[in-house]
Amino acid sequence: MSTEQLLSQIRQATSYQQNKQILREKIQTDLHFVHNGGLFKVTPELLAFVATWPIDELYLEDTYQNPVEIDRQVFLVQAQQHYQKVMNRWHDEHAELRKLRKV
Amino acid sequence: MNMQNFVNSVKSKGVVVFAFNTHIDYVAIADQTCRLIEKNLGLPITLVTDHDAVPVFVYDRIVRVDPQGHTFRSEDVNLQWRNFGRYLAYELSPYDETIVLDTDYLVLDDSLLKLFETNWDYRLMHHNRDENGVSYEQMGETSLPFVWATVVLFRKSPRAEMLFELVGKIQRNYEYYRLLYNIRERNYRNDYAFAIANIIMSGYHVNEQQGIPWRMFTVSSPIERIVATDTQIHVHLADKALVLPHQNIHVMDKAYLQTDNFRELVNELTI
Repeated sequence: MSTEQLLSQIRQATSYQQNKQILREKIQTDLHFVHNGGLFKVTPELLAFVATWPIDELYLEDTYQNPVEIDRQVFLVQAQQHYQKVMNRWHDEHAELRKLRKV
Repeated sequence: MNMQNFVNSVKSKGVVVFAFNTHIDYVAIADQTCRLIEKNLGLPITLVTDHDAVPVFVYDRIVRVDPQGHTFRSEDVNLQWRNFGRYLAYELSPYDETIVLDTDYLVLDDSLLKLFETNWDYRLMHHNRDENGVSYEQMGETSLPFVWATVVLFRKSPRAEMLFELVGKIQRNYEYYRLLYNIRERNYRNDYAFAIANIIMSGYHVNEQQGIPWRMFTVSSPIERIVATDTQIHVHLADKALVLPHQNIHVMDKAYLQTDNFRELVNELTI
């Protein structure tokens, strides 16, 4: 392999770990969704809390530290759908990254 | 529809972009990046520029002002930086709710739209990471964190008006504020002016938790070319390539933004 070819290959090399971290950060952004004027980041903890809370009307603290009134059933469905959509995309895009390893 | 959503729906929303040509053709860059904004945010765009500029993109409005700026030395070359006047965004924006964006910010997703649906007077970008994960967040070694004026959201409200008036006051008295806040750089930066104004507005508190709750992604290295696929953006640097999802990207390499490759990329992404 010539020096030029080697240089060209090095230029196209990509770091899986670096790309993975950037993708994760983007997914953390996308996990935010808006409900009743509040901004929430959907996490497994939030989903579990809302799913098990025994009363349908409650106040949840949003990303901006405001108590937001929510209807538990409506919120749960929206949050679950949003979480599922974003996590599916993360899985698909992560699988593509793994395939690349080196561009 | 509850009252909050109803009130939001009748307010006008838009993007304001400032572009003043120096040794860099910022207007040509804005013509390209605004195509991405239009495609991914679907909002009208107002360009604030000088009297000589000949923009090509079909803007909602073009506001012409006398450019102001300063000259500073970098690597033994005098560079012109026409970055004064950002505080005029409040007055010049024709919209009730505005996103002010730098011309070097590539909008490749719609994440900023979410923020319109929440309650605020203004939102600032407090955190950044670049391709190496590094984030420079202090105005000086013994100073406070700065914000990234690359992305600023505001609503026409007394509090937002006060923020922009303060930014103007800081710009006019920059030397005083530079010494007061132990800022390392002599040249005026909007990032610092917005940070100081926000600190004052928040009762001398950094108040990060009221900012945009995610990090901006910046490519700080020189870019050779960018290639887009349906789901990925491949950014080729001198010694490596980054594979990114379709996400907003702050590009530090202004030379790249003036290349044919960038125009081709925008063509591809805006089909």
